[in-house]
Amino acid sequence: MKDKEFHLKVDNEICQGTGYCVRISSDLFSINGRETAQVLIPHPSHNYQEDILEASTLCPTRAITY
Amino acid sequence: METIRDLVPPPHIQGIKHFVDYALVDEILKSKDFRQGSHQESQPFFGDSLLTIDHDVHFERRRLQAPLFRKEALEYYEREELLPLIDKALEESKTNMDEDGVVRADLCALIRTMLARISAVTTGIDGVDTPERTDAFRTYIEQLGTGATVEWSVEDHDDVIKRILEVRAEFVKEFYGPSVERRIKIIDKFKDGEVEEEELPKDLLTLMYLHWNDNWDEELPLREATLYLVASSQTTTHALPHMMIHLHEWFQEHPEDYEKRFDRDFLKQAGHEAIRLHLPSPALLRIALKDVTLSDGTNIAEGERVACLFTPANRDKSVFGDDARSFNPYRETPNVKPWGFAFGGGEHTCIGRTLVTGLSARTDNDEGTDGTLVNIALALYKAGIEIDPSDLPTYTELSFHDSYGRFPILLTNV
Ligand code: HEM
Ligand code: SF4
Repeated sequence: MKDKEFHLKVDNEICQGTGYCVRISSDLFSINGRETAQVLIPHPSHNYQEDILEASTLCPTRAITY
Repeated sequence: METIRDLVPPPHIQGIKHFVDYALVDEILKSKDFRQGSHQESQPFFGDSLLTIDHDVHFERRRLQAPLFRKEALEYYEREELLPLIDKALEESKTNMDEDGVVRADLCALIRTMLARISAVTTGIDGVDTPERTDAFRTYIEQLGTGATVEWSVEDHDDVIKRILEVRAEFVKEFYGPSVERRIKIIDKFKDGEVEEEELPKDLLTLMYLHWNDNWDEELPLREATLYLVASSQTTTHALPHMMIHLHEWFQEHPEDYEKRFDRDFLKQAGHEAIRLHLPSPALLRIALKDVTLSDGTNIAEGERVACLFTPANRDKSVFGDDARSFNPYRETPNVKPWGFAFGGGEHTCIGRTLVTGLSARTDNDEGTDGTLVNIALALYKAGIEIDPSDLPTYTELSFHDSYGRFPILLTNV
């Protein structure tokens, strides 16, 4: 995990727009006026590791990959 | 025999608006203008549990529980708990072996034994070990399940609730109470620095008592545990017999595929198809929080309850193709999840999905686990499962659920 470069993505076919990822990190995700979440930082630094792991496990549809 | 039936909407949801179209069901389940509408009568069993709360409180509760479904946790459950428990249940079935070395068993009962134990582990119930204790425990779960789905019962609903509350008191005495007591003690030791975090059990009850919230009532962990026990075991117990009968029919019609009974990817797709076709309840219900107009122009008034009939939605030809009503383990569903709404949608999407399907969907980041459906089906094929042609499975008559009640099998290679 340490050397892994993150490629943060939301699968728009699966995302159900709950906004739960945004509640974990509004730096990484946004959902303003849209039906599905958007990734704001596609290659986040390792400082975001905990948020990335938490958001991807918490996402009810598990639409987030990294 | 008929293995795919049409859903007959039960009396409980007659007279309210029904949605059967995939796109509209999707729209309702993901809309923030609705809240959970199922389990209105079953509050004594499920009230204020994750399934029945919405939006902000739901987010917080789900956030608390999400660590149970991290990759490492899923790998732990599968390798350290599920696989040994499957072997153990098959080993125990040998008590019914005849002189020819063939075991006669009931698939529903066998699967319930396996799943009861894995549910106990994820929920945090101790002592589900010997065949006798497991039998007692799974009978409790079944009865709690009857209470928790009383809406769909064909018996008198008040009688069911009264009877099952008495059963629950016994369950608390025998299993739940001692399990909670042990967890509270170990959490106290952890707080006093006598026990490391890694030594704490990895289960729902430990998590709740470790992160106690003063807004919770004392019985909430019991209702949450009931949700976990019922939601995890009943649903999978419901799905597996369908998966096995469809595979049986598939292999009869496509004998060239029979060798694939040991192929994990093939079994995975078969599992997805079985849960797409056979949903764990007749409908998902939602209540409108304000007046809503759906994209097709349907008006729903504030407070109105609607039924998403996910069985027909999951057989929608415009989404799954012309053969949507049949079982096809080679189906490709590029734009939707292969199981459709089997795990619901929106905020309440099943938290246990990865336990069932493994970390296998295109968004699960990693391979790593195969889930209960594949692992149990594979173990059954290795044990030489055969369906007794002279004694075919029959559906349950006790509720409106699309479930088998009796499923005699032979195991020729235990
Ligand atoms: C084949 C197996 C399963 C199926 C088909 C299934 C299906 C579902 C569905 C449809 C829902 C949403 C209900 C609604 O929106 O009203 C749900 C929620 C839930 N399921 Fe599953 N489930 C399965 C296995 C499991 C397992 C193994 C667990 C173990 C923990 C589990 C725990 C839950 C919980 C706790 C919820 C409530 C989630 C929430 O409201 O946020 N389920 N499940
Ligand atoms: S948490 Fe998941 S489903 Fe919800 S908005 Fe974010 S990506 Fe979409």
